[in-house]
Amino acid sequence: MHQLTPTRATRRRIARRRGLTVIGGAAILALGLTACGPDITAGSGDGDASAGRLQAPDGDSPSGEITIWDRSGDLYEVFDAAIEDFNEVYPDITVNHEAVDIDAKLQNTLITGTDVPDGVFLDDAKVAGLSDYMWDLSDVLDPYVDDIAQQKIDVNSIDGGIYGVPYDSNPGLLYYNATALEAQGIDATTIETYDDLLAAAREYQEAVPSAKPIHLEQSAFLGQLQLEMYASQLGTSLADADGELRLDSPEYEQILGFLDTVQKDGLGTRAEYLTPTDIAELESGNQVFYPWAIWFSFAPQQLLPETAGDWRAMPLPAWEDGGARSGAMGGSSFSIPRDAENADLAWLFYEFLMFDEAGYTAVWGPNDVYPNGLNTSIPSYEPAADPAAPLFEPVDALGGQDLWSVATEASTEIPAAAPTPSWWAGAVDYLGNDVQRMLDGELSPAEVLEKSSADIQANLIDRQ
Amino acid sequence: MTASTLTVPGTDDADSVPRDDTAASGGSPRRPRRSRPAITSHVFLALLLVGFLAPVVWALLSAFKPANDIISSPLAFDPSRFTLDNYIAMFEDVPIASGFLNTGIVLVFKGAITLFFAPLAAYAFAKYEFIGKNLIFGAVLVTLMLPTIVLIIPLLLEMKQFGWVNTYQALILPGSVDAFAIFWMRQVIAAVPDELLDAARVDGCGEFGIFWRVVLPVIRPGLAGLAVLTIMNIYNDFVWPVVAASSDRMATLQVVLSTLAQNITGNRIGADYATVTGELLAASSIALIPLLVLFIALQRHFINGILAGSVKG
Amino acid sequence: MTGAGPATAPVPLLSSITARSTRHLQKGEDMAVLTAARTRRRLAPYLFVAPFVAVFLAFSVYPLFFTARLSFTNWRGSGAAEWVGWDNYLYLLGNPGFWSSIGNSAVLWLLIIPAQLVIALLAAVLLDNAKLKLRSVYRVAFVVPFVTPLVAIAQIWVVVFDQDYGAVNGLLGLVGVPDVGWLTTSEWAKPTLALLFVWKTTGFIVLILLSGLQSIDANVYEAAGLDGAGRIRQLWSITVPLLRRTIMFAVVLQTLAVFQMFAEPFVVTQGGPYGSTTTAGYYLYNHITRADLGTGAANSFLLVILVMVLSLAFVRLLRAKD
Repeated sequence: MHQLTPTRATRRRIARRRGLTVIGGAAILALGLTACGPDITAGSGDGDASAGRLQAPDGDSPSGEITIWDRSGDLYEVFDAAIEDFNEVYPDITVNHEAVDIDAKLQNTLITGTDVPDGVFLDDAKVAGLSDYMWDLSDVLDPYVDDIAQQKIDVNSIDGGIYGVPYDSNPGLLYYNATALEAQGIDATTIETYDDLLAAAREYQEAVPSAKPIHLEQSAFLGQLQLEMYASQLGTSLADADGELRLDSPEYEQILGFLDTVQKDGLGTRAEYLTPTDIAELESGNQVFYPWAIWFSFAPQQLLPETAGDWRAMPLPAWEDGGARSGAMGGSSFSIPRDAENADLAWLFYEFLMFDEAGYTAVWGPNDVYPNGLNTSIPSYEPAADPAAPLFEPVDALGGQDLWSVATEASTEIPAAAPTPSWWAGAVDYLGNDVQRMLDGELSPAEVLEKSSADIQANLIDRQ
Repeated sequence: MTASTLTVPGTDDADSVPRDDTAASGGSPRRPRRSRPAITSHVFLALLLVGFLAPVVWALLSAFKPANDIISSPLAFDPSRFTLDNYIAMFEDVPIASGFLNTGIVLVFKGAITLFFAPLAAYAFAKYEFIGKNLIFGAVLVTLMLPTIVLIIPLLLEMKQFGWVNTYQALILPGSVDAFAIFWMRQVIAAVPDELLDAARVDGCGEFGIFWRVVLPVIRPGLAGLAVLTIMNIYNDFVWPVVAASSDRMATLQVVLSTLAQNITGNRIGADYATVTGELLAASSIALIPLLVLFIALQRHFINGILAGSVKG
Repeated sequence: MTGAGPATAPVPLLSSITARSTRHLQKGEDMAVLTAARTRRRLAPYLFVAPFVAVFLAFSVYPLFFTARLSFTNWRGSGAAEWVGWDNYLYLLGNPGFWSSIGNSAVLWLLIIPAQLVIALLAAVLLDNAKLKLRSVYRVAFVVPFVTPLVAIAQIWVVVFDQDYGAVNGLLGLVGVPDVGWLTTSEWAKPTLALLFVWKTTGFIVLILLSGLQSIDANVYEAAGLDGAGRIRQLWSITVPLLRRTIMFAVVLQTLAVFQMFAEPFVVTQGGPYGSTTTAGYYLYNHITRADLGTGAANSFLLVILVMVLSLAFVRLLRAKD
């Protein structure tokens, strides 16, 4: 049809020119007429603090239906099995248990206030950011609060309110390949400080030249999480109780100096947590020290068939003689949204799971999912975390070691903490990346602290 | 494509005038000889073909390998180790059937709405003068340039006001007559000669009758192109469904898939890399098969439709 | 006339109907009928666009205005919104992160568009030859990536380009190339992402260019062929100029897509390593995940302006050559 083309083309050209003017006009209109846009207000949250405090339900046999969100995977299965035990105590409460991609869905669900769950499993790092939407649990937690690990209360506290029922405690431990180390005559149990750890790593490397003994995390997110574990040992964290940034400090300088030394002296295996490369280095005996949260125990049990049984756990080294031997890394809590229909019943569910012996035994004790018990974390409720009364059994993959007593004792070493700021995850773009750049040799520890502090202040804190 | 056209490449150097088949093949234009450019063409096209198909073929085949083999020897395919384990595990762990059902429901309704109302409106834009035409069409172009993710929060709040969160209407209506469809159809309909419409008008056809009996039949190829594009967009959309349908029972296929993908990228405790990769490849294969089948079945219409819809030189 | 199928269809219809209409006029139609028809004709378009306009107002314009207003506030998804004037815009314009996201998209654009155009143009020219053997096989194969779900294929990309266990490094290893950190180094992450984009969309661009080629008269080539123009020269000096408008259409379409690119980095790299794949679209998403909705809204309007300027520039370029 090329015979039609010339006239059509001309017409189209004119139309296009006019069209573009219109586009400009429409854009200006859209920007200019903002006054007739919708009213920007939120539905929930009346700002009155006392009104936001959840109260336990009255009456003897509370009844109703609650919807509980958990992440899919092993924990979902564990909590699912515990519902039966809950119903023996509260037969009239029906629990709809859903496996949900919480990170993707919770924020939007809370914004819309539709189909809001009655209780939700949350990373501790996420609680502060969502606290506007959640019940203050300080009244219902009051009877238990003195018996809960202080660090867990601290991270869930914002402006005097507590916005999560503390779930687990995740003490940092030093996992080490005892068999490989002993073969070179190294006794890891004598390690007491990070200087000792460096010395042991050097000794091992002399004996095994291919070895890069200490794990250096390559994921920006997990690297920052591990950094906070080290900081927690020193009683500090990214932000203080008032939300002020305290990154540029001697403590962080010491930690980054250690990581920098490990990298510069060729003592570190740089890999992302339990990716195939990481696993290969663990299995080959090149990587023998893994300072990580207790949940690394999953690896020797399921991902390291070659070296399962060779691994052991011990408290972290101290930053100086007599210093704390553990710090918190990660951890989760249960939050109850204000828009929940049966928030009080959800509290009963979590109260049972966390503070009732039948509840916490169902979670951490031997069950269908974990015949030897759930050993990737320990309870944060101290009566449940009794070193003398283990809930989960010794771990074969750790050579039959009693991980329970190692972890519960380490847990008591964790210094007090401050609430995790709502911008914590956003800081990964700055601090998490800058730490990786330091490990690439592009930045010095001092530069990381200076640059990250400035970026976090300008892009996250000042934008609150 | 007769057998004789597949002649040996031995005699190819004579031809220096590429398009002149007559000269090259001794009088018969039906039997072009393979010239050097033809060989180069085929090499180039075949390389592209391999490049374009390899990832898909790799995924389809790998889904039948034991999960650990996918990681440890990604290139090998040993038929004796053929397994359905990934599929079995995937069907156990992932609600893929309900994902298909939800996607199907959205597809039928949203597709029907788009395929009827987009050409109708585009017809008005292409062939009529009316007040506000340029303003509206300009606004259409602006929304084409607007990153869609930015509209998500406002849309979500709107869904809340309507009480539509976690409903099929929320998945179906927003974006049902979208800017691109209008833009595309206007392009197609503009190419229909005005004389055709005038003639129908003189014949006593009503305005809607012209659309229904003249325009639609003429633009059928373009419409087929729009149909495949629309089906593809709805089938593959995942950003909006992830937010609009927070409940699992409303999850579409792509939402199911992206949730599964997060088990790999999210460094989840308890997620075994190899197993999840195997399940993901199985799920991905199953997800791409319907579209591949549909596309191959309708490829002529689709390709002709795209050919009909885009801007001509 | 190389145009096949759709392009030729209207022509016979046209002639027959025109013939009929002339006949009608010769008979002398009642003018009243024509007037009524004219009224109908005036009203019809409003009815035709009404359903679209309703959906458009409700689900595009309204959210658009909402977003516009949001961009001047510091609203975080709950509580009251505070009017902050141009703060969000000024913050972004003074922020290296914003500019580096634009820079990342610009680099991706450079990696994608020229390569894709060359590949697509060559493929389209070759496929335009109706006598090409296996023509329809090629056409189908090229469009296969375009119809595969992005979430699925992006995942496949992650697995195939894994540094240690991916098929690509496995293949390169066979010829002695050492492992490349395709997705883990800031040098390679962008090219790998660009490759995904090229792989996914080139088939569609081939089709668009093919449609343009079909409207080029074959005689033009024959004339050139007789003049002894070589194939490459023919392509450059005849096909490309004649195809200018189609090429520009494709470029504008792809520019929009590249600057809005979000799902690819979201699934494959999460914007990393070191933010090297934080595209303009992904950067925008970051504000939203941090509940910094006002800044997200402002960011999207800045993007619209940028894309509009780029599109205008392309159109200018086209017109200058016209």
